[in-house]
Amino acid sequence: MKSQFFDEWQEKYKSMPGAQKYPHVFSPIKIGNLEIPNRVKYAATEDNLNSHDGFITKEDIAYMRMRARGVAGGIATMQGVTTDMLQMGQGYVGQACAAERKFLPGLTEMADAIKEEKAVANYQLMHCGRVGGHMVHKCEGPSAVPQRLRLFVPQEEMSHERCLQVIDEHAFAAEIGVEAGFEIMEISGIVGYLLSNFLSKYTNRRTDEFGGDLEGRFKFVGDCIKKVKSVIPETMPLIIRICAWEQLDDVNGNTMEESLEVYRLAQEAGVDSISITVGWQESVVPVISRDIDQGSWLWVPQKVKESGITVPVSMAYRLFKAEMADKAIADGVLDYWENCRPQIADPLMPLKFLEGREEDIRWCVACNVCLARLFRDAPMTCYISPTCAHEAQPDWYPENVPAEEPKNIWVVGAGVAGLEAAWTAAERGHTVTVFEKNSEPGGTLLDARQAPYNDYELYEVTTNFGVAQCEKRGVEVKYNTEVDADMIAEELPDAVVIATGANYVKGTAPGFDRDNVISLRDAINDLAPVGDNVVIYGNRKPAIGCALALAKKGKKVTIVGKEKTTGKDINPSFRWRYNIFLAQNGVKVYGDADIKEINDDGVIVRYYDGVKFPVKADTVVYAERESNNALKEACQENGIEFRLIGDAAFPRGVSGAVHDGYKTGLRI
Amino acid sequence: MFYLWRQTALELLGDDADPMQVALKAWEHIGLDTAKSYFPRTNLSKADWLTRMAGNFVGSWMMRGAKIRLEKGENENEVFIIWDRCPFPTSAKEFGATMEEDLAGCDMGLKTTVEQLAAFTNKKLNIETLKAIPKGEGACVRRLWVEE
Repeated sequence: MKSQFFDEWQEKYKSMPGAQKYPHVFSPIKIGNLEIPNRVKYAATEDNLNSHDGFITKEDIAYMRMRARGVAGGIATMQGVTTDMLQMGQGYVGQACAAERKFLPGLTEMADAIKEEKAVANYQLMHCGRVGGHMVHKCEGPSAVPQRLRLFVPQEEMSHERCLQVIDEHAFAAEIGVEAGFEIMEISGIVGYLLSNFLSKYTNRRTDEFGGDLEGRFKFVGDCIKKVKSVIPETMPLIIRICAWEQLDDVNGNTMEESLEVYRLAQEAGVDSISITVGWQESVVPVISRDIDQGSWLWVPQKVKESGITVPVSMAYRLFKAEMADKAIADGVLDYWENCRPQIADPLMPLKFLEGREEDIRWCVACNVCLARLFRDAPMTCYISPTCAHEAQPDWYPENVPAEEPKNIWVVGAGVAGLEAAWTAAERGHTVTVFEKNSEPGGTLLDARQAPYNDYELYEVTTNFGVAQCEKRGVEVKYNTEVDADMIAEELPDAVVIATGANYVKGTAPGFDRDNVISLRDAINDLAPVGDNVVIYGNRKPAIGCALALAKKGKKVTIVGKEKTTGKDINPSFRWRYNIFLAQNGVKVYGDADIKEINDDGVIVRYYDGVKFPVKADTVVYAERESNNALKEACQENGIEFRLIGDAAFPRGVSGAVHDGYKTGLRI
Repeated sequence: MFYLWRQTALELLGDDADPMQVALKAWEHIGLDTAKSYFPRTNLSKADWLTRMAGNFVGSWMMRGAKIRLEKGENENEVFIIWDRCPFPTSAKEFGATMEEDLAGCDMGLKTTVEQLAAFTNKKLNIETLKAIPKGEGACVRRLWVEE
C-alpha cells in the first residue's frame, strides 16, 4: 500500500536536484505493507514542550510540523509517548502521554499536522523505565538496580503483575495512536528505557519468566511487540528501536552478539523494521559527540545485516550528510536514513538537500546542548539554531518581520555574530555592509578551528552558512577593511552592529612583558615560536582547545586558570569529553589558580589554597579574553544607533554569538 | 566536621536523643551517597576491578584525613584496606563520643556502601573489620571480598 502522498512526491522528485544527486535516499522503500516515497526518517526526540501532565501543546505541534515538512514525504516521528498514568515511565518533564483517552485530541492534532505537511506520521511508545519517574521521583524496571547517574531517580522492581499491566498499557497507548490517525507504530527500547532494561543482563536480574537467559529477558519485549501488533491494523508497519551495542561492558551489560540475537528475536516476533542505536545514557563511551567522526558507526548496521536481519534497518548517530546516507543505502548497509539532532538544528535539512540548497543548511555541531537542556527540565534549545523550539512564534523569523524603516547598517566583524546579524537584518529589508579587518571571515573561530577533535566543524558550519546567507541577500562584505572612529564619523551609517569579538589579554603578574609570552592566536596558528614546555594562562574553552592543539604537536602543556571549573563555559554534556582529552594528552590543569610571576625558568603558580609552586615553561600563552568594543564610543559620540553583540558584548562560545547575531538582526 | 554535625544534631534533638542512633543513621546516609560516587568508577571488565573499587575507598578516606593503603589478598577476589592513621577516633574523643560509637558508625558507612555496590554490580561483595583503631589495635584493617 502506498502512503497517502506517495505519487505526489514521486512526481515532485523528478524535478528536484537532490533526487538526482542522492538517488538512493530519495527512492521509495517498503516498510511492512507501507510504501514510502523516500528513505528519510525524522527520529523521535523529546523536546520538553508539552505540559507536565502529558498534554500536547501548540508549541510541540509547531515544532513537529516543521520537521514533518523537512522530511519531504518521508517519515516524521513524534516524540515518544509515555504509556502509564502512574507517570513511572515519564522520563522528561514535557513528555507526551497516551495512557488515557483524554490525550487523544492532542495526539490527533499532532498526526493531522504531520500529514498536512505530506509526511508519514509515525507514533512512538516510550516507557522510560530506569530513566523515568521524573515527576514522581521513583521509576520502575525489571530489577531495582541502583542508578549509576545521580540524575536519575531510585528504581523499584516491577511485580510480575505489573509487567503484564505495562504490556497492556503499551497496547492501549498503541490503540490511541491508531485512533489519532498515525500511520506507523514504533516502540522505543533504547538508551536505558524500559524495554532495554528488560533486555540487558545489567538491569534484569529477575528469576521469573521475564528474566534469566536472553530468551527470558526478551519475553517482555516480545510480548509487547505481539500485543501491540494485535491491536494495530494489519497494514500498519511496526518499527522497534533497540540497541545493537549497549556499550555497558564495564557493568556486565549485553554483548553485541546478545544484542544481535535480540534483533533476530524481534524480527521473529513480527516487527517490520528495526531502528539501530548504540550506547546507553549510562555508557561511559561517547557515541554522538562531535569528537566522534561522522559515519563512524556504519559498521554497526553492516554487522546487523550480516547477522541475518532482513527487515529494513535505519540508523542516525553521526550520519549528518546525505552523501554518506546515500552511499550507505547504495552499499546495502542501511535501508533508510534516520535523523535526529541534524533536524533539531535544521528542521528542513533533508528538504534542503532535495531542493539543492545545501548551503542553507544550519548544521548540527554535535555539542549535545539539546540533551543537557532536556535533562535539566528546560525546553528544547539548539546551540546553533536560534529558531529551534520557537516554531510557534512567527515573529521569530526575519521574513515575517520586515523592517519598518529600512536602514543603512554597518556590521563590523565577519565572525559568526556579525554574519548572523547581517543576513538576518538584510532579510528584513535593511541595506547591510559587513566590514572585516582580516582577509577571510570567521573571527575567533579562525583560531578555534585549529583545535583537534573535529572543532573545525564549528568554524565550517557557522561561517560557511553565514557567508552563504549574506551572499543570497546581497550583503556586501568588505574584507581587509578595519573600521575606525573617523570612518564612522565621516560616513554616518544609520546603525552599527559592533561584532568585533574579543582580544586575548595578558595577566598582570610580573613577567608578562617577556618575549616568550605570546597570545593564543600566535600559538595556535604557528605565528610565533612555541617551546617544548608550555603554560597556558586561562582555563576556558579557547585555552583548552589551544592546549590540546599544542599537546598534539608534542608539547608538554600546563593550564593555569582562575576558574574553579576548567571549561566552565562548555556545556556539561560535552565538558566531560574535554576533561578526558586533556588527561589523555597529558595536559596538567590547575584551576582556581593564578600566575604570580613569569621568570627565566617558567612561571610561579599560586594555587587556591595560597601555596605557590614553580612550573617549567619555555613559552607562556595567554588565552584569557576581553571584549573588543572600541567602536562603542564613536557611535555614541555621533549619535548613531549601535548594538554590541557576540564576544564584543562579553566573551562566550559560538552559541552566544549566533543567538546574539540572529536576535539583533531580527530587532534592529 | 562529622562530629561537629553530630553535636549539632544532638543539641537540636535534646537529651533524649541516642547518640549511637544518630551516628548510625548519619553514616548510613554517607554510605549511600559514597556508593553513588563509586558507581561511575566501577568497571567490571577489568580483571582487577575489586582492587580498583577498594582504591575508591582509599581515595575517599584520604580526603577525610586518614593514612590509608591497600594490601593484596590471597587472590583477586580479596583485598585488604588498612587505615594506619585516622582522625576520626581523635575527633570522637574531642566531642565526647565513645569508641564503640565511632567504630559502629564507620562500619555502618562502609557496610552500606558495599551493600549498594553489591546491588549495582550483582556481585556478592562483603566487608568485615578485622582490626580497629578505636579498639586500641593500632590500625583499622578491613577485608573486602567477593564470594564466588
